[in-house]
Amino acid sequence: MSAIASAPAIASAPTNPAHPWIAAEHASYGEVTALVADPILLRTAGRRWWIAFGVSGLFVVVTLVAIYVLFTEGIGVWGVNSTVVWGYAIASYVWWIAIGSGGTLISAMLLITRQRWRASVNRFAETMTVFAVSISGLFPILHLGRPQYFYWLAPYPNTMLLWPQWRSALVWDFWAILSYLLFSILFLYVGLLPDLATMRDRATTAFGQAFYGAFALGWRGSAHHWRCYETLQITLAALAVPLVVSVHSIVGLDFAASLMPGWQETIFPPYFVVGALFSGFASVIILTALVRWGLRLEAIITVHHFDAMAKILLLASIVMTCSYATEWFMAWYAGAPADRSLVTFLFTGSSAPLYRTQLLFNCVLPQMLWFAVVRRNVSFVVLIAIGINIGMWLERILIIWNTLSHGYAVSLWRLFYPTLWDWALLFGPVGLFVFFFLCFVRLIPAVPMNELRKLCREEHVA
Amino acid sequence: MKPGLSGTNPEDILRLSRRDALRIFAAHMALAVAGCSKPVEEIVPYVTMPEGLVPGEPLRFATTLPMGGYGLGIMGISVDGRPIKIEGNPHHPSSLGATDVFAEAAVLSLYDPDRSRTPILRGSIASWDAFRAALLPQLAKHDVNAGAGLRLLTGRITSPTLLRQIDHLFTRYPKAMWHVHEPVDDSLERQGTELAFGRALHALPRLDKAEVMLCLDADPLGPGPSQIVNARRWIEARNPKNARGFSRSYVAASAPTLTKIKADHRLALHPAGVSDIAIAVANVMGAGMAQPNLPPSSERFVNTAAQDLIAHKGRALILTGRSQRAEIHALSHWINAQLDAPQDFIAPFDRSAEHQPSTLAALAEDIQAGRVETLVILDSNVGYDAPADLSITANLGKVPFSVHLGLYADETAGLCQWHLPQSHPFESWSDLRAIDGTAAIAQPLIRPLYETRSAHDLLTMLARQDAVSSYDLVRETWRPVGGDSFEDWWRQTLHDGVVAGTAPLSVVAAAPTRPEVTSTDETQNELALVLSPDSSVWDGRFANSPWLQECPRPISKEVWGNALSIGAADARRLNLKTGDVVRLSLKDRVIQTPVLVSDGCPPGVINLTLGYGRRNAGAIGNAIGADAYRLRTSDALWMIEGVTIAAAGKRQEILTTQNHVRLEGLARDLYPVRWLNDLASAARSDAEAPSLPTFYPPAAADTYAWGMVIDTAACIGCNACLVACQAENNVPVVGPEEIARGRDMHWLRVDIYDHDMPADPVTGFQPVPCMQCENAPCEPVCPVAASVHDSEGLNAQVYNRCVGTRFCEANCPYKVRRFNFFGYADGQEYANLGAETIKAQRNPDVSTRQRGVMEKCTYCVQRISRARRKAKKEDRTIAEGEVVTACQSACPTQAITFGDLNNPDSVAKRLKSGPRNYELLGHLDTRPRTTYLADLRNLNGALKGEHS
Repeated sequence: MSAIASAPAIASAPTNPAHPWIAAEHASYGEVTALVADPILLRTAGRRWWIAFGVSGLFVVVTLVAIYVLFTEGIGVWGVNSTVVWGYAIASYVWWIAIGSGGTLISAMLLITRQRWRASVNRFAETMTVFAVSISGLFPILHLGRPQYFYWLAPYPNTMLLWPQWRSALVWDFWAILSYLLFSILFLYVGLLPDLATMRDRATTAFGQAFYGAFALGWRGSAHHWRCYETLQITLAALAVPLVVSVHSIVGLDFAASLMPGWQETIFPPYFVVGALFSGFASVIILTALVRWGLRLEAIITVHHFDAMAKILLLASIVMTCSYATEWFMAWYAGAPADRSLVTFLFTGSSAPLYRTQLLFNCVLPQMLWFAVVRRNVSFVVLIAIGINIGMWLERILIIWNTLSHGYAVSLWRLFYPTLWDWALLFGPVGLFVFFFLCFVRLIPAVPMNELRKLCREEHVA
Repeated sequence: MKPGLSGTNPEDILRLSRRDALRIFAAHMALAVAGCSKPVEEIVPYVTMPEGLVPGEPLRFATTLPMGGYGLGIMGISVDGRPIKIEGNPHHPSSLGATDVFAEAAVLSLYDPDRSRTPILRGSIASWDAFRAALLPQLAKHDVNAGAGLRLLTGRITSPTLLRQIDHLFTRYPKAMWHVHEPVDDSLERQGTELAFGRALHALPRLDKAEVMLCLDADPLGPGPSQIVNARRWIEARNPKNARGFSRSYVAASAPTLTKIKADHRLALHPAGVSDIAIAVANVMGAGMAQPNLPPSSERFVNTAAQDLIAHKGRALILTGRSQRAEIHALSHWINAQLDAPQDFIAPFDRSAEHQPSTLAALAEDIQAGRVETLVILDSNVGYDAPADLSITANLGKVPFSVHLGLYADETAGLCQWHLPQSHPFESWSDLRAIDGTAAIAQPLIRPLYETRSAHDLLTMLARQDAVSSYDLVRETWRPVGGDSFEDWWRQTLHDGVVAGTAPLSVVAAAPTRPEVTSTDETQNELALVLSPDSSVWDGRFANSPWLQECPRPISKEVWGNALSIGAADARRLNLKTGDVVRLSLKDRVIQTPVLVSDGCPPGVINLTLGYGRRNAGAIGNAIGADAYRLRTSDALWMIEGVTIAAAGKRQEILTTQNHVRLEGLARDLYPVRWLNDLASAARSDAEAPSLPTFYPPAAADTYAWGMVIDTAACIGCNACLVACQAENNVPVVGPEEIARGRDMHWLRVDIYDHDMPADPVTGFQPVPCMQCENAPCEPVCPVAASVHDSEGLNAQVYNRCVGTRFCEANCPYKVRRFNFFGYADGQEYANLGAETIKAQRNPDVSTRQRGVMEKCTYCVQRISRARRKAKKEDRTIAEGEVVTACQSACPTQAITFGDLNNPDSVAKRLKSGPRNYELLGHLDTRPRTTYLADLRNLNGALKGEHS
């Protein structure tokens, strides 16, 4: 990426209130397009990219080894036990799919509400969705005792005339993940069409022209194309929002449609949707900062972007805090001994330090975002976002641990102790995600050039 | 063939020359020809089916298993010639149709891969012929010296045939001697009767006739040969239908025992304090001995208990346990005589009329002095379980010719010249007397799997009657009893599993003399170590049983080890926490063991069980736990004073399968306790509560509706149900590492609850199988419909449909489902449990489960199916009592009732409408088919204040 340093820079300047979403004082369409496309088409990856690629490759190897060991030895290599039958895999599944929905929400919700600034961030947010959902979809399969039979969750014609059991939230889950994954790929791809055509037109190699040309589906930029394109995009966006809500409601129902104290709560579906928004936005903030730094896009991603996203984080944090408080209140108000005992266990039990960390990261620290100074300081916002992602993972694992280890069968109250392979499959996929993302930035424009050109015009800098 | 060239080493095979290959080929041909030679016995080809044998149909044979020398009558269930399960024999006085954990596990020991298979001479494989060749010159020497220096060492022997053989041996070698060593013996009880009655007697308490019982360290409900009969009689006297006859028990004990847990009033005391109670009670009866200084709690206990005993003269009984001195035993006989207590005495039957056995101490002395020329050890592991002061281990090697016959090549085998493999009780003919003296024949269920012989065979060898088989010997013993139509008598006796009319007549004992007993002071600041036999491995002989090692201790729920129990106060004083390793030392002998802080342990007392720290038990039992025998001396077998305890600065995790729960507040619903006096007035519990409204259709009324009722008042926590379930349902053993990870596979667990009450918590047991909920929370969450409901109300698990999401277990409020995290029975077995022999024990009616599959209690669906097939063939419905689940059949107190709730005559249905019936977590509207009867205690009003 060192090569990017010599880009025909549209100089980034201190932000100008007249055009908050573009930092450059002047950015022509050509300059903006070159800023995004040239690093991919004209320049080599650079040392920083290769180092990152190598490190993430190591994580990919760790992931593959962990999966190999899991498949040959069995689920027993994890720390799960007869009482706490679920562990990291389920927490990671919820965490990853929640991150995924952040991308969709940013892209779709901001499109519908006509937030112009989405142009700078929506592409990699959508890509993040595809990778995160793909990774999250791995976990429910990996966590099966007999993963070779995961397809039994699908209704397919078979000799025994057996169908899945439709009352189970896990079957809903199966469809939710599958449809969400297919949808997010489609949404990303439709948004890419004009840019793929740009890449085709600018490609200098025959392979590049053929590759981008094939995927551009003959886009010529005619007014008819644009009209169809915009109609389809807004329609998909309108579909995306309820889809995200339903996916996360179903994830919430995985727990809520049970009988266990701490799970059987009507608040779970909305609470999971907000949680997904929360951690999704936090992840987008982290990625935005990384992309901005790695691809030198300070000119088109400004502190105003961070400020805007930080405000959403703050809102989500307040809703999350209310959700937690609702849980505590309902446990007390309903008066069920098991629920009360569980909430006591949250605050005083063996994982109380983790629970307090969760509250600190999800509820307390985000309150700093009330201050504009903090919101406009990229490092601060990123640190808070990292904290939120840790806090949200803790939230998911504690939902599992606390309920399962402190259920109705008092004689079998037990704790979970993670093993090496638990940790390997916790951190390995993070590297896998980075690995995919590094491939993505070398293949596809990380920022939608067509929308960026539009933004430059609207900001009067073009 | 070149030396060292073996056909099994792959590298050698690669280096084979053509000539070597031909040689091996030729050798194999020769072996194959030899292998095809006709067996000695007649082969029965199934061209014509043997009568009564249908392939795959189980056959039941009555036989007898030894337990510490006493016989336990059982029914061996055999499928296609393989014994696979043991059930009780209702005709046998020690079984009464029930079993205990040791009997249930006996079937697995038959197939134990560690069993000794061949004679061993000083560590190398030998043959029976070689042994015979070595024995003959030795016997020739004894022919000359009339058997001087010939010694026989055995455990307790009640077999009339074996006693007859021993007598016969003495006629041939008059100077020979017989020594008996039984690690858990009755010596103190015998001394007690000698002091009281002037001769050794065998006491048979009648708990069914005891309306008031006072146990002083005695544990009649605890593990041992009399557990089943005592438990059955105890519960017979506690039938709430008969309020006047409902017995009340007072227990003062120095160890946490099952009897103490089930008692109505209990007191944890130092053994000296327990002795004081005996003295004080005797004084109330007018003994007039020096009154000991009693603490106020003991004072109150004595006054109430003694008054209650006196008020129930003729129906009151006092029992004394092993940790008490012989004088206290004698004193309790005196008290019993004052009370006219329901207790019979019979003459001891574990000795022959002509020959009294000598002791192990005498043998040790003779070995030391070089007076022992030939030592024959019959099924005794004296190299491990002898009291440490006898130095048996060090001196056994000095005996010029020593022979050990045993099921395993154990510690003793290693110390003897010869080890001979013994046949399993299922492989040999014998006879045994039950705890009450009733004889029963032990018949083999299978031909010996290996080159093994029985004790009878070895004795015939010693007596040089080589041609006589043990079958003939046993028949010869009973021929006089059988009379003229012996063959008919013999068939009937084998069928019944008990020799009718052989119970010895009770001896009319003279009025006992009252011993003069003085109170002994508790040694200040020194801990008394109270030993007890282990509820899983007994005296160590069952250490290699994986089922028993993984069977949770009834109270501590510990598995795979024997932690030292210590009271909370002492633990605080010594700054010890559960899991701290301590060094226990007595003189120069030291053992290390982790401690377990336990409420049941009185101040000044520590408890350890025998049978652990085995060095040569086998792949399962080696190097687990601490060897308490190293602190045991021949004058202090059960209560050892002067033991010093010091922290070793290490920690060791104590493996348990579940928590001992202290119930507080509303959670008391999990284990309700009712008082007998309040029972009549108490409102019916949930039986009358209207069930919650539902949208779902009611269960079908035109078919069977299986249901179970478990009486927690009757449950003594003995775990017989748990091991029976394991045997019946092919439940795998997971091993200590997996237990440490919180995984176990038992389909049925026995929970233990403390009701938190001031001064005197009521503790009780609650066996928890699958509740077979009508609204089963596990069913709707399974994505592949592996957890489904059948038409008869069973909550079935379809193993081959299960993909292992584990949502069912996550959503089960009772946590009764068990997951195969590894292939516990599917290629990833613990230790040697994947051996081929082990597979022979599997119940062919129950599939073994794959890795990654959830499993659970099925109400023994295979037994229901069998009954249904039978009923359909006979064109009728399944009758009440026709289906008996494995747990139900094992239960000594018949606490488990199973039946069809749609059958108006079913006992289960009647019990469910009773006042004590309650549902576990019923408020979740799971509508469990398994319900419980609340625990019931019979408090004495005078002590009742402590319970409110």
